[in-house]
Amino acid sequence: MRASFFGLNISMTGLYASQRALDITNHNISNVNTPGYSRQTVNQKADTPIAMSDGTGMVGNGARVLGSERVRDEYLDFKYWSENVSYGEWDIKETMLSDVEAVFNEPSDSGFNTVLNDYFSAIHELSKDPSSVATRALVKEKGITLTNYFNSTATHLEKIQSDLNYSVKSKVDEINSISEQVRALNEQIYKYELQGDTASDLRDQRTVLIDKLSKLAKINAQEVTVGKLANGKDDVRFQIVVNGKFLVDNFSSYKIKYNQSDTKNNPEDIPGIYNLSWDDGTPFEPGGGELKGYIDVRDGAGDAKNEFKGVPYYQRKMNEFVRTFAKAFNEGFIDYDGDGAVDTEDTDGDGVLDVGEDANGDGVLDIGENKTGHADGYGLNSATGDALPGIRFFTMNDISAADFVASAADPTDPNDIDDLYNNMTAKNFTLSKDIQDSVDNIFTSTTAGEKGNGEVLLSIIEFRHDSKVFNEGTPEDFMRSLISNLGIDSQQSGRMSLNQETIVKQIDNRRTSNSGVSLDEEMANMVKYQHAYNAAARMITTLSSIYDTLINRMGRF
Amino acid sequence: MRITNNMLVNNMMYNMGNNLERLDRIQQQLATGKKIATPSDDPIVASRALKMRTDVAEIAQYKKNVEDAGSWLEVTESTISSVGDILQKARELAVQAGNDATTQSDKQKIATEVTQLRSQIIQLSNTTYAGRYIFSGFKTDETLIDESTGFYNIEVQKTGAGREDIKYEIGIGDTININALGSEIFGGAGTAGSTPKMVDDLDKMIAALNGNDGEQIREAITDIQSNIDNTLMIRSDIGARTNRLDLTSNRLLADESTFTKLMSQNEDADMAEVIMKLKNEENVYNASLSGGARIIQPTLVDFIK
Repeated sequence: MRASFFGLNISMTGLYASQRALDITNHNISNVNTPGYSRQTVNQKADTPIAMSDGTGMVGNGARVLGSERVRDEYLDFKYWSENVSYGEWDIKETMLSDVEAVFNEPSDSGFNTVLNDYFSAIHELSKDPSSVATRALVKEKGITLTNYFNSTATHLEKIQSDLNYSVKSKVDEINSISEQVRALNEQIYKYELQGDTASDLRDQRTVLIDKLSKLAKINAQEVTVGKLANGKDDVRFQIVVNGKFLVDNFSSYKIKYNQSDTKNNPEDIPGIYNLSWDDGTPFEPGGGELKGYIDVRDGAGDAKNEFKGVPYYQRKMNEFVRTFAKAFNEGFIDYDGDGAVDTEDTDGDGVLDVGEDANGDGVLDIGENKTGHADGYGLNSATGDALPGIRFFTMNDISAADFVASAADPTDPNDIDDLYNNMTAKNFTLSKDIQDSVDNIFTSTTAGEKGNGEVLLSIIEFRHDSKVFNEGTPEDFMRSLISNLGIDSQQSGRMSLNQETIVKQIDNRRTSNSGVSLDEEMANMVKYQHAYNAAARMITTLSSIYDTLINRMGRF
Repeated sequence: MRITNNMLVNNMMYNMGNNLERLDRIQQQLATGKKIATPSDDPIVASRALKMRTDVAEIAQYKKNVEDAGSWLEVTESTISSVGDILQKARELAVQAGNDATTQSDKQKIATEVTQLRSQIIQLSNTTYAGRYIFSGFKTDETLIDESTGFYNIEVQKTGAGREDIKYEIGIGDTININALGSEIFGGAGTAGSTPKMVDDLDKMIAALNGNDGEQIREAITDIQSNIDNTLMIRSDIGARTNRLDLTSNRLLADESTFTKLMSQNEDADMAEVIMKLKNEENVYNASLSGGARIIQPTLVDFIK
């Protein structure tokens, strides 16, 4: 015997279920554009049926809503995080290397090539007419343009490095802020889920944060079951590990600190580089992501310490260029055998090893590496019998040649003078004060008192085509290989970034495909649930009319 | 695959972004006329572009050097040629004076004329080009022969490593002497204060004429002839150098056009191709816009009443 009003109860469950389903549909529609939102579905089942005592089987008890569930494939999240890290790293490297490319401004009509071509043209003109004061002035002006090119390139590179340094700091701030937010969300999610619910929306928020974090550093984020709760459920904790240490461990987050150290990582560095460390002082290595991108470009000198060719690499190369160039120009030192020292056995300086020129008596004739340079010449106003004035064309910080060589232990020993050039950098590279003060001090003549003698300049013009000046070849070859290296690295970063972007995009598409809200689907669901609701309501009307018949009309005549 | 609205929007935005990026690149090629804007666009082209620029700039400089060397040699040649003419004249006069029919007073007139020739030669020895003494070696600011004494004013080194050849670079590692050394043209020991052989020979001839010494006048013919031979030798040397300059100049002209062409081939964009590509990309972009607009607009919402 069934209860009289049982049917109304069933209809009520139908109404409730449809209403709940419509609420969820509504929630989905409202969040169609919420970043990271996963669509939710209603989880309902047929309510436990009642067994009929008369053996007619079981009678259905209507619908029962068990709760709502978010549709999410967590495997895709893991994949997304593991690919996003490379995307972040290469995206930054691409951007920053294009900034470096802009500094070099090649190929163009105002880059290094043009500056050097103009400079050597002026030298050529002067070699044809060493006595012309106007041409001397031209050489000086073109020399200033050349030194300015290096000064401004070095300054720009420093500016980029300082921007990178600032970016490192702000990325660390971002990581700290995200880990703190994740920690707070962990607490909320843990509390909600203690009761056995799924905190769908909070989990979505956390995933969005981890998405961001995965682009910043190489992270490993996962939920770990650590035991059982009193109610028999798993005790699940959410942890983020970076480089083997916890960034977030359930309810605690660990800050990354940055401090400006006094010691430089690379000698070319600007002061105040931020070094990153954990709270306990151990160094923090991001392992990937935008932070690694910034750090690599900021610190990479292409050496054992950091193999990436970043700003310090280009500073170092520019310094190497000005040192070697100035050495060859000023002194005529060209390290032919690449042993890092000036071998001077070609004692008569004719570039040929004559018999008996074994000056150091080691029985081996070393290559004469001390050619005629600017300092081996005489100026316009020299007189016959003058001593060698030894003025250098290029010095640093506008100092005079005398000040430049003053610190040499033995100014007559080429290897002592050689060392002085290690203080020269692209930033402080200038013409010597002597040249700035008077163009008469541009030395062209190999003999004092000969105004028409341009032999020094001819020797200088010669080294422009000497493929032994640099390991890479001539001065132009050096810069060319530097710039094509930069081009290749930048192109490579661009390709890596594009490939990673495509992969990340693909994974994100799959995530959106799975978890995203489809308005068409929600509309169809809406109509579906609306109909279900209407039908349930209709059932009540019908039942009402049945009860009307039963209660009001039955037994009346 | 389940397709959601945001997927459609994201994909459309991404693809349209890519289309725009390609359009931008082509537009840049069109505006600059260059294939590449930065080394990363094509490192090989960039590296070659740098090399070509240097090559073209150097060839331009060498062309200038060849022209300058040519004008210096031209002045040198014409001056030595005038010296030769004067010596020729002196030789004719010597032959005339050596003739027994010439009287003593005629010989004295000839002596006056030779004195004139002598000072002309000294003047020519101090010829300048663009304010520089062309026969003074490296001491381009000093006269070669003192006009009053007829002695060398300076020593122009003609031997050893100190030989005062003014060299112009007319190719990589390729230099040419553009001057003739006064000490070689005018002869003698060449040290400062010594007498140039040419002047000395004329002085001897003048003395012989004034002294009416037939033997010495005949000797003077031989001496002057040796000076003439010397100038001819130097002139032929200069001629050979001028020839070399002409050849170099022709080669540089050819190189210049070759390298300029190579440079253009390397880095200049092919306009016809770029415009074709631009049109193509434009079509793709327009199609993606209109396709995208159709796809993202309607949903089921529009059709539920």
